[in-house]
Amino acid sequence: MNKKKIIIEPVTRVEGHGKVTIKMDENGKVEDAFLHIVEFRGFEKFIQGHPYWEAPVLVQRLCGICPVSHHLAAAKAIDQLVGVDPEKLTPTATKLRRLLHYGQVFQSHSLHFFYLASPDILFGINAPAEKRNIVTVASSNKELAKKGILMRKFGQEIIKALAGKKIHGILAVPGGVHKTFTKEEKEYFLDGKQIPNVDTMIAWSKEVIDFMKNYHTENAAWIDNFASYPSNHLGLVDKETGALELYDGRLRSVDFEGNELLNIEDIEYRYHFKEAVEPWSYLKFPYMTKYGREKGWNRVGPLARLNTCSHITTPFAEIERQIFKAYTQNKPNNMTMHTHWARLIEMLHCAELIKELLLDDDLMGTDLVSKGTPRNKGIGIIEAPRGTLIHEYHTDDKGLITKCNLIVSTTHNNEAMNRGVRAVANEVLSEKPEITEPMLNQVEIAIRAYDPCLSCATHALGQMPLIVQLEDHQGNLIDEKIR
Amino acid sequence: MKKLDKTLIIGIGNNTRQDDGLGWCFLDNLEKEGFNSDNLLYKYQLMVEDAELIGDYNTVIFIDACKTDIEAGFKVEQLFPAEQVTFSTHAVPPNQILNLCETIYNKKPKAYVVKIQGFNWNIKIGLGEKATLNLNNSFAYFKNKFLIQHFK
Repeated sequence: MNKKKIIIEPVTRVEGHGKVTIKMDENGKVEDAFLHIVEFRGFEKFIQGHPYWEAPVLVQRLCGICPVSHHLAAAKAIDQLVGVDPEKLTPTATKLRRLLHYGQVFQSHSLHFFYLASPDILFGINAPAEKRNIVTVASSNKELAKKGILMRKFGQEIIKALAGKKIHGILAVPGGVHKTFTKEEKEYFLDGKQIPNVDTMIAWSKEVIDFMKNYHTENAAWIDNFASYPSNHLGLVDKETGALELYDGRLRSVDFEGNELLNIEDIEYRYHFKEAVEPWSYLKFPYMTKYGREKGWNRVGPLARLNTCSHITTPFAEIERQIFKAYTQNKPNNMTMHTHWARLIEMLHCAELIKELLLDDDLMGTDLVSKGTPRNKGIGIIEAPRGTLIHEYHTDDKGLITKCNLIVSTTHNNEAMNRGVRAVANEVLSEKPEITEPMLNQVEIAIRAYDPCLSCATHALGQMPLIVQLEDHQGNLIDEKIR
Repeated sequence: MKKLDKTLIIGIGNNTRQDDGLGWCFLDNLEKEGFNSDNLLYKYQLMVEDAELIGDYNTVIFIDACKTDIEAGFKVEQLFPAEQVTFSTHAVPPNQILNLCETIYNKKPKAYVVKIQGFNWNIKIGLGEKATLNLNNSFAYFKNKFLIQHFK
């Protein structure tokens, strides 16, 4: 048997485009596997020379799915350029930004679960490809689909109310925000007259977690073992209490057993991280300098955040966190598919936080912007839906950006996703007489758990087929499937 | 003001990626011609919640840039709920939105797509020359023939 290479391109149901190459040897065993990130956006270079205040507007164009995260990470960095640290923002500005952020995480998590993950979960990994999609989910479970759509819409409406539009809107300005919240806007989300209200969002989030827990009970064998491997975990935690923190906190990393590897001020990140490069991917591989390239990489995102935090501040989500943690005897959870479970707990947490904020009159304050003494460097770090997101900007004395460094969540998860692909490829593809579509789908499931955002900005009709190519060891195409 | 009652026109695209902005430019032209802007929706991509939105309308018209060759540079087609679902769902195709609308909400608006061929997709604002020609031709057809045929 010749050596052959299997290419899955693009990876379906992830945000953007990716390509998986699985190299087989002469005996049909998996020799190696890679997730290539083939899109190059060049924003770090592109933004040089622009005035600093443009950054929160420009960089959110990185993505059509999580622009709010880029907007807010950039805004936090730009705050520092105008001399305003996070604790110097007015309460109204901080709370409005947090509300925007929680709306973003809520809608992104609900989109991921209902749209990207539920087909695999409802129908199983061996279901025919034509069945694993949202329309079949809608046909077989209309209420679940309807709730999924309305939950996503609720988060999007929060974003629209604050930023003016659902995608690429603007709330933050240097040192604060440009608009406040009105009583009518608050009531829209509280009274349930026009859209299901925030209490309904909390109730539905709890229902979805119950659904996930039941599913786990019935399918523990594959959920626990699929693409599982030990790793470090990185996330922001509250500066004083160590609680789960999505907007502003300390960076904490623990290893697979829970030993603390890092606990630093977020703005010190540069002294503790390096980024490696590989010739086959545009995406870098960040790692903690102290532990080196091989041992210093982290997972980020919902699973990592629940592994690094001490507790959750909202009551219902904290109950669910305790159940989640009890399953691993309070040790870090390294089971990749449990990321979906963790994501739903965070979704509930965000719904509770949104309610807290909607009941807070500070939202309607008029003190929106703080001022300070300008600096030439700003670093903004937040927990985006997919994990830790870092923006760093340097400016000259005219306020023009001279240097920019972005480490996005998917970059942190680069090593983790590659390990996942290798683990699954070894498990399901090695020494099999036939490579079936469900086998290839399992590779994709391992990637989808991280909800990678590979940058999606252009969508024209006629794009996006799934192409599967088989190549021999010399790179000759020996088979191709387009589905 | 020209109104298209119970009709939603959705322009899909990204005007910072050259010809991917064709859908939005088409809506700009409609607005300049005095069509009610409440009926015009600019979208980067269709998403699942649009299935609920389109259920409120009798007719939905999607306008999007197209990469494949079209002899006339544009094409108008009637759309139906998808019989077969595509494998890439991170941006939802129009017929899948129709399918979701029918499956979940039991509503079936009449739907059309205006495909306009584009050629350049780099990070830059502004349509290329050939895309602009296709835009103008498709808009003239839409205004002078399609609307008269379907809405009179």
